[in-house]
Amino acid sequence: MSEDSDQITIVFKSNRESIPGTLNLCLNHIQQNVSRSLLDEDLMAKIKWVIIELLTNAVKHSGERESVLRIGLTAYGVVLQKEDYGKPLALVGHHKKKIMWPLQEMVRPVDFPIYHNGMDSLCVRTDERGRAIFFIEELAELEMPALLSDTSEHFGLLIMTKASDEFAYEYEQDTGINRFISTFYFTQPLT
Amino acid sequence: MILKVEEMNRVVQATILPDEASLSNADAFKEEMITIIGKGIRLVIVSFENVNYIDSSFLGSLVVALKYAMPRNADICLVSLKPDVKNLLTLIRMDKVFRIFDDFEEAMGTLN
Repeated sequence: MSEDSDQITIVFKSNRESIPGTLNLCLNHIQQNVSRSLLDEDLMAKIKWVIIELLTNAVKHSGERESVLRIGLTAYGVVLQKEDYGKPLALVGHHKKKIMWPLQEMVRPVDFPIYHNGMDSLCVRTDERGRAIFFIEELAELEMPALLSDTSEHFGLLIMTKASDEFAYEYEQDTGINRFISTFYFTQPLT
Repeated sequence: MILKVEEMNRVVQATILPDEASLSNADAFKEEMITIIGKGIRLVIVSFENVNYIDSSFLGSLVVALKYAMPRNADICLVSLKPDVKNLLTLIRMDKVFRIFDDFEEAMGTLN
């Protein structure tokens, strides 16, 4: 683990046995360095869910032996970044539309739903740099949530998107780095 | 073995033994649940009393088990969820498809 004034970098051996230890390392760092007045139980639970899903994503999808988790602490909030050199993200939309990174110029911008559980529609939108921004559109409640029709590789993305204040993915074509970024804002930022 | 199982009158009380319901045991949990349901059980009450955290892989297995149960006229309900676990289920609306109770006794009470 390396450390500077506001960010630590944790190398994660991308195997499932390492998840609990890495999770505790991350949570301990955040708890020790963020004022309790900013870090209530609700926020801490959300950060924990996202770290678990970032690490699980690394084990299931990166195809790499190692990933890097960066935890940034600012006056405004907590930023979690997971980086690896594995396979770039590929998304299949709710209407079978598919996109893969690196995005071709001709397919930008992209904006489409990926998955819905009957109440929340998980959507992705790309910006001019090809960065994917995930967001939720709430649907009118259905009697039987569509949760049961898709058992779902998308639960992880849904959790990270709903738990985070902002959740994004970017791919650096020149270095081959995949990066998921989850941002949490404090309700009352430090002044 | 992920589950400690007790059966009475086609109702199974299944307690998850590990404190982590995660990628490491999601497949085993799914297989054990499918084996239980395949025996003609009408209700499986899954206790999370030992579970401190749950991830998307395990949630996926839970949904697969329910999809297997429904056409077989079996049901699955969940009991003894710690607040953190229950809040995550609520976050992704799984509380809309699973009945959630405080404990075994409350879940058993609904049978009548």
